[in-house]
Amino acid sequence: MKVYWQLQAKMIHRRFKDAGTEPLFAYILILIGFVGFSLYLFYKTSYAEYIYAFLALTLTVKLSDKKKNDFLKTCFLAHELKKIRVLENMITVFPFLFFLLYQQCFLTASVLFLLSFLMAFVNLDTQVNIVIPTPFGHKPFEFTVGFRNSFYLIIGVYVLAGIAVAADNFNLGLFAIGIIFLLVLGFYTQPENEYYVWIHALTPKKFLLEKIKIAVLFSIVLVIPAILLVLFFYREQFGLILLVMTAGCFFVIYMIVSKYAVFPDEMNVIQVLFLVVAAFYPPLLLVLIPYFFYKSVHRLNSLLK
Amino acid sequence: MIRIENLYKKFGTKEVLKDINIQFDRGKVYGIVGENGAGKTTLFRCIAALENFEGKIESDLHPLKNHLGLLFAEPYFFSKITGEEYLRLLCNARNKEITDMEHKNIFELPLQQYASVYSTGMKKKLAITAILLQGNEYFIFDEPFNGVDIQSNLIITEIIHKLKSLNKTVIISSHIFSTLSETCDEIHLLSGGAFVESFDKEAFPKLEASMKKVVIGKKLDKLNLI
Repeated sequence: MKVYWQLQAKMIHRRFKDAGTEPLFAYILILIGFVGFSLYLFYKTSYAEYIYAFLALTLTVKLSDKKKNDFLKTCFLAHELKKIRVLENMITVFPFLFFLLYQQCFLTASVLFLLSFLMAFVNLDTQVNIVIPTPFGHKPFEFTVGFRNSFYLIIGVYVLAGIAVAADNFNLGLFAIGIIFLLVLGFYTQPENEYYVWIHALTPKKFLLEKIKIAVLFSIVLVIPAILLVLFFYREQFGLILLVMTAGCFFVIYMIVSKYAVFPDEMNVIQVLFLVVAAFYPPLLLVLIPYFFYKSVHRLNSLLK
Repeated sequence: MIRIENLYKKFGTKEVLKDINIQFDRGKVYGIVGENGAGKTTLFRCIAALENFEGKIESDLHPLKNHLGLLFAEPYFFSKITGEEYLRLLCNARNKEITDMEHKNIFELPLQQYASVYSTGMKKKLAITAILLQGNEYFIFDEPFNGVDIQSNLIITEIIHKLKSLNKTVIISSHIFSTLSETCDEIHLLSGGAFVESFDKEAFPKLEASMKKVVIGKKLDKLNLI
């Protein structure tokens, strides 16, 4: 069993090293990011504890993947496997539990603890093979895959926008719109197989512009239900909503140029750091986007001659 | 036409392809044979400009890659894309409009299902359909017959004959000799990263016999099967 944990640690370290950073530095960065996000969430909305618990449970759902656990069954005895799964879930939700206790959300923390413990005994087939219809099928790829992978979260965010209106909380509505853009950023985090870049009969510049055009258009399609809902009840906030939507689109563009600037490698820590800094000072994107666009063109030259 | 001159490819210090000189003409089908690790896939990747290399690769259409249909031995599929969307993705990439997709679905694939849940053979058939719908002029088929059922093997053989009659350039690698002898005009033997021998149609039986002799030899005797 010890070997399993050592292997997990090695795999995580390798991922950080592949991304071009020292694991210790990455851990510190993740810790700062986690605390920062948690403080921001609890500062922004009174529903933070539920969103927080939901996020933590989503992670345990990932750990309940049937294929992964079927493989572990072939490696470990039943009682060892139970220990591994309980411990794995506890380690995953521990930071969330700690922060919930710090925020004195004792009931939510207890429920989260209980549910994550029970999740250790559940195997879920997380690969849903039911074809989920998407409005993005005529230009398939990032949005088709991303929408299907996170459709339940997208529905959840639309519901959150509804709650914001019902509770007369405009900030929560804006937060919901922001979350949709955050999900869209997630569609662009993983580099695709090089074949899917190579197939394009486009120059690097045209390839990137086409990617950006589709991403902006589809992001607007995805966010428009939440925007219309919030806008209907807060018409006087039109300017602010438009600003958030524009900023969201710029972040999506940043993700695209950032991804292809290092393609086929994964985005590095510096790029993520830039993203975090830009979250606090969005005008920085006006410098970062042209810079990474130029780097992407250079990087893609060998594949899209 | 694809012309390769003085092609060399190294991975670190290891030389994978050495002094490759060959011309692939229009309206002809070429077979590339060689043991695992001989350099076949690397050669295909060089032709497709997926690898950097030393030497020259020229073609009558430019850039070559925009007219090339490339079938990998193990095509990669995204987890949540249907067969139909995969075909559309590959055609969009070449600015090709596809109409009447069901009619063109000659392998009768379940196009409304996720491609990632297809069997190995179905995945290969989907990838072949996609590069055919792209309307390419050059084709590289890396192991097109592997994992595919007998009926589909017959269809693939006919497809290759059709491509030849349409004056396309076709390059195939296969470990099943009969599939090559049925479809190819020439077969080139790649060994240790270099072309060591070429055979035209009349010499195919000689190639098969010599391959059997070299590869099998007296190895079976070592098993002492009784």
